[in-house]
Amino acid sequence: MPIIETINLYKTYKDQTSEVHAVDNVNISIAEGEFTAIVGPSGSGKTTLLNLIGGLDTPTSGNLFIDGQDISRLKPKEMVDFRLHHIGFVFQSFNLIPVLSAKENVAFVMELQGRKKGERDTRAQELLEAVGLGDRANSRPSKLSGGQQQRVAVARALASKPKFILADEPTANLDSKSAENLLDMMEKLNQKENITFVFSTHDPRIMSKARRIITLEDGKIINDIVK
Amino acid sequence: MKITLMLMRLSWKNIWRNKFRSILILSAIAIGLFAGTFTVAFIAGWGRATIETEICNQLSHTQIHTPDFSYNYDINSYFLEDRIAPVVDSVTHLNSVSYRLKLYGVLASASNTVGTFVHAIDPEEEKATTTIYQYIPDSLGTFLEKDKLPIVISQRTAKKLNARLKTKVVLSLQDVNGDMQSVAFRVGGIFKTNNSMFDESTIFVRKSDILPYTGLPEGVAHEAAILASNVSTGKEITKALGKALPDMDVQGWNELQPALRLIHAWTDLINVIILSIFLVALSFGIVNTMLMAVLERTKELGVLACIGMNKRNIFKMVMFETLCLTVVGSGIGILLASWVIGYTGEHGIDLGFMLNANYERFGFSSVVYPILETRAFLEIIALVVITGIISAIYPARKALKINSWEATKC
Ligand SMILES: Nc1ncnc2c1ncn2[C@@H]1O[C@H](COP(=O)(O)OP(=O)(O)O)[C@@H](O)[C@H]1O
Ligand SMILES: [Mg+2]
Repeated sequence: MPIIETINLYKTYKDQTSEVHAVDNVNISIAEGEFTAIVGPSGSGKTTLLNLIGGLDTPTSGNLFIDGQDISRLKPKEMVDFRLHHIGFVFQSFNLIPVLSAKENVAFVMELQGRKKGERDTRAQELLEAVGLGDRANSRPSKLSGGQQQRVAVARALASKPKFILADEPTANLDSKSAENLLDMMEKLNQKENITFVFSTHDPRIMSKARRIITLEDGKIINDIVK
Repeated sequence: MKITLMLMRLSWKNIWRNKFRSILILSAIAIGLFAGTFTVAFIAGWGRATIETEICNQLSHTQIHTPDFSYNYDINSYFLEDRIAPVVDSVTHLNSVSYRLKLYGVLASASNTVGTFVHAIDPEEEKATTTIYQYIPDSLGTFLEKDKLPIVISQRTAKKLNARLKTKVVLSLQDVNGDMQSVAFRVGGIFKTNNSMFDESTIFVRKSDILPYTGLPEGVAHEAAILASNVSTGKEITKALGKALPDMDVQGWNELQPALRLIHAWTDLINVIILSIFLVALSFGIVNTMLMAVLERTKELGVLACIGMNKRNIFKMVMFETLCLTVVGSGIGILLASWVIGYTGEHGIDLGFMLNANYERFGFSSVVYPILETRAFLEIIALVVITGIISAIYPARKALKINSWEATKC
């Protein structure tokens, strides 16, 4: 069973004069352990699609199954809870809570989940070590570089033990060296821990790291290749 | 519960991310609360001082008259001291009582004549009950101590009569039969209180001196004035005596002097108005600050919503931030106020330098001892907390309107 499956997914934005099909009849199926890039020019619908998959937005029509459960019609309240327990997010920037240390940021999601303190501390430290920042656990985000902040964001996304991690242009604000490091780290987590990643990018060097590349144009899938 | 604690910690940290702004609003809240609380205490202290001065100078806490006397001040409306004294003693023994004769009279000197209300008293009893004797300066005689047929008049009356110490004055009054009697006195003391209406109308003579001219029997009085240890025991005594003496007119200070009760009511009302103004200003300050704090964090709040923080927790977090500011700020303000009120309440604030004579005309005291009653103190704290909660709601609701996809915009 695929971990993510969309069926005839549409998202249409309307104003008085025109309609924009930001996501236009998308059918994709992503299995556990995949390392998938969604690529396409700016305005092609990458963000909209990831938001739909992540339950941040509701589709105009069509269905979305996560691990076999149709979540496209969940109530907002149920959706928040679903995200907390099943989906990890990495955003382009300003991911972290500025007043909390790296470790507290990672532990925060687990606190929301109601995990015990001992478990939170151990796991937060482990995750920071896994993303190569074990020694920066007590630093506030402002004391970390952009690349380091994104690594903490990945650790935070993993903390809730989600089914998969969505990352919308996670490297857009990074220099190419940091961007590559981040991707290498994500790839390692994918291979060693079998973590499923879906990320968007329009950087050719980043997309080349993916094992599956889905190309969007005007909200439609125009190419879907598995290496 | 655990999450609530975590949210409180987070809120506290959030407050300090913009130190300057937080300190500014904290100071504003603290200063506002300080000023508000102090003003309330000042006005309460002023009201109380005015009332207490009046009680101590002449009114006392409770007075007993025959119902007729209260109605028409008739010389024949007297009661027997021996009938009242045991009852008063049985109600409380920790008090002083002055049994007075009160008579209308006309006081004349060689140059002028004034109408007066004669307080015929026993000097020792009166000294134990009221402080009027303290209002005679050392250089202006004594309170009916020595001399033959002394009379104590006010400075105002002395001026009108063109009288000085030892000046001879003649008091004319009606006796029990309605016949005019005239008695020559010598001015033995001249007093001045802060209440010029009282001063203008009141003179004191010894009961024993005037009695033979009134035709009244021995051992009678028109008025029993009872001094209690404080206002609240005064109230109880009034109540108990009212029960024990159903045929007499037993009145507390607030009934005797409706103007004083008015002061009481007015100070309460003014305090409510002042507090409301301070609290509304406080509320605007809080809402404004917190709204800024929320709106400049839309992205971050969006991220929190994305990663699974539900609306209730976001609401709580912003509420806590507001409440922290309110509680800490007003805590500082109220503590500061209690300290200053404690100090000035002991030492007093002398307003004599900025008040003109008119102010004293109605017996207002020029030294104010601010006072904050426990009840008022608790009321202020309760009102502040309520204001804090109400002001917190709007920014917190605003935070709820922020959508999770704010996080994904760049
Ligand atoms: N909230 C919105 N309202 C109207 N149009 C939108 C909105 N969000 C996105 N769009 C439009 O949908 C299309 C896809 O946008 P987006 O998903 O952000 O593309 P990408 O992330 O690939 O740059 C664009 O044409 C954009 O203008
Ligand atoms: Mg985008």
